[in-house]
Amino acid sequence: MDLRRPGRAARWLGTAALISFGSLTSANAAGCDVANTLDVASLIPPGIVGSGPFGEAPSTIDSVKLTDAQAEQARAGKFKVGVVMQTMDIDWSKLVVAGITDTLGKYGAELVGVTNPSFQVDKQIAQIGDMIQLKPQAIISIPVDNTATAAAYKTISDAGIKLILMHQVPQGLKYPDDYQAVISPDNRGNGQVAAQILAAHIPDGGVVGIVDFGVDFFTTNERTRQVRAWFEKNRPDVTLKQVDFVDTTKAGDVAANFLTANPDVSGLFVVWDAPAMQVASALRAQGKDLPVVTIDLGIEAGIELASCGLIKGIAAQQPYDQGVAEAEAALQTLLGNQPPPWIVLPAVPVLPSNLTESYRQVFHEDPPEELVSACVADTGCK
Amino acid sequence: MDGIATTLRARAFSAEGLLVGALVALVVFFSIASPVFLTLGNLENIGRQTALVSIIAVGMTFVIVSGEFDLSVGSTLALAGVISAIAMKEIAQYAAIGALAGLATGAAVGLLNGILTTRLRIPSFLITLGSLSIARGIVMLITDTRPVVITNRSYFAIFGEGHFLGVPTPIVWTVVVILGGIIALHFTGFGRAVYAAGGNPTAARYSGIPVIRVKVISLTLAGFLAGLAGLVLSARAHAARPDVGAGLELDAITAVILGGAALSGGRGTVIGTLIGSLIIGILGNGLVLIGVDPSIQIIVKGLIIWLSVSMSRG
Repeated sequence: MDLRRPGRAARWLGTAALISFGSLTSANAAGCDVANTLDVASLIPPGIVGSGPFGEAPSTIDSVKLTDAQAEQARAGKFKVGVVMQTMDIDWSKLVVAGITDTLGKYGAELVGVTNPSFQVDKQIAQIGDMIQLKPQAIISIPVDNTATAAAYKTISDAGIKLILMHQVPQGLKYPDDYQAVISPDNRGNGQVAAQILAAHIPDGGVVGIVDFGVDFFTTNERTRQVRAWFEKNRPDVTLKQVDFVDTTKAGDVAANFLTANPDVSGLFVVWDAPAMQVASALRAQGKDLPVVTIDLGIEAGIELASCGLIKGIAAQQPYDQGVAEAEAALQTLLGNQPPPWIVLPAVPVLPSNLTESYRQVFHEDPPEELVSACVADTGCK
Repeated sequence: MDGIATTLRARAFSAEGLLVGALVALVVFFSIASPVFLTLGNLENIGRQTALVSIIAVGMTFVIVSGEFDLSVGSTLALAGVISAIAMKEIAQYAAIGALAGLATGAAVGLLNGILTTRLRIPSFLITLGSLSIARGIVMLITDTRPVVITNRSYFAIFGEGHFLGVPTPIVWTVVVILGGIIALHFTGFGRAVYAAGGNPTAARYSGIPVIRVKVISLTLAGFLAGLAGLVLSARAHAARPDVGAGLELDAITAVILGGAALSGGRGTVIGTLIGSLIIGILGNGLVLIGVDPSIQIIVKGLIIWLSVSMSRG
């Protein structure tokens, strides 16, 4: 519906003359124009940007791919694998687990269980104990916390079970005795991709606002660190300002207040997509049209990107493929092959021009109707 | 002269006086500390940021004054937003359909809370603790934890992003709810019954007040207003997210208690609740404006709660 003809809305309230739609008619002056000048291929970092938690050199997911012979062996082994997540309440976790489940199924392995501690340390510790009781030969897991869960993770190797980790290593665990591989997205690479897309929208001498998570969390720390490092190295003319949110439901409020105090900000990096959407709605409420770049392709951010709205680009993870690599690493370990310590999936730059293709790559399914209809070719969206 | 001075002192030290004093002190402090605090744009920030808590807290005021509790409002908000978005997607793209579906969902959760609390004679604290979890689970189930995108622009305008007489619509809805709440609680027989039911339910029952019905209506109202807050939030976000609203029940309860209500029921005002909500909102806004570390902000919020509550009850 065209907002300049607010017929339905006004009739609904019965007060047509009194309603104005000022803040809604903001035209997003830049639209997709700048984003469309960017070349996706040139945004992909030439290699993996970040190194492992102990400085390990990164390996690609090809390092754990099963050969035909290994696949045969794996099927004959009828292995049992368990998964201990940090939460199952978010889309990311579901995609990872889908990748694990499909891959284990493909190689005839049994998934004995998936636990959901809802980000709570005590629950995760209990669930590690429960999982050991199910006697899998390997456990794939992402720690809620590196310190508090460390002792519980140590009991996995003590029970003779192999451990494949995601993203981080609980304190004191040693490769290859206590765990056999860490699989991670290239968090710094994602930060770098986001910084490059944002930089194209920032005028000379402009100010970038970084909206970061104020909790010491490895993934977000790495992303933000590389955004800063990239700007400091490649765009020294740009001033970086930062605001942190702790309550994930209040990122929009925090950003609104930050922008009021810092009206010179000419673009924003928000550390992941859900808070970025809160920031976008705060910008709309203030009638501001500033470019926002974020990390992780969610459906809302995708639609905002497709419709040439406030989100100008996204650096995406590949959670499904990460799950595939985790299952493959677990199987390799069970076949007696030692995977490398630090296996990394590269960052995927998402712009209007490669949106639907990126969606398929990330979600392993067709984009939903809303995204397809928001993605119209005459704006350069594909 | 003595008499006037005593009256003035009494008023200044009354609970409401202290509350208003705390609000004024915060406003004065932040106006000095930040040049942008008192700008129109920032006042709109505060209005928008307190809208959700204020709307929910008005319903919570009725519930707490009637001697009950509602811990489920955050989940109810999420459920209402999601049902509203799904209704528009599946039935027809009319804002009215989304609104009716969302508000009916909120009211239904509240009604269920009320019926279970009064019929089973289980404290509402426990019943709504259950509904907090059930409603959230239903939301995650029907959305598969993914946000439901909303594309209806009239819906955005009416609940989230439009203006009415130049005022952003979330603030307009807040004002409507506050005014409605003041009238219903302070100027109607129903309002008097709410106080009686919470103050002394036995006495109320003997004087012919339908205590059960009053409590059921109060809880239904809280659910209904949580539903309205869900519409406002989803219209601002252009989507109904399954994870929104967690913890909002605590913000709402904080606002009501800051506003001078008694946890045991029988005492509290809508204006007090509004001031409580504004104190929390101004604190959140002002501390970001002057660049205070977010961890410190949370501590300061707790200290202000201690200070206000101890002064107004001392």
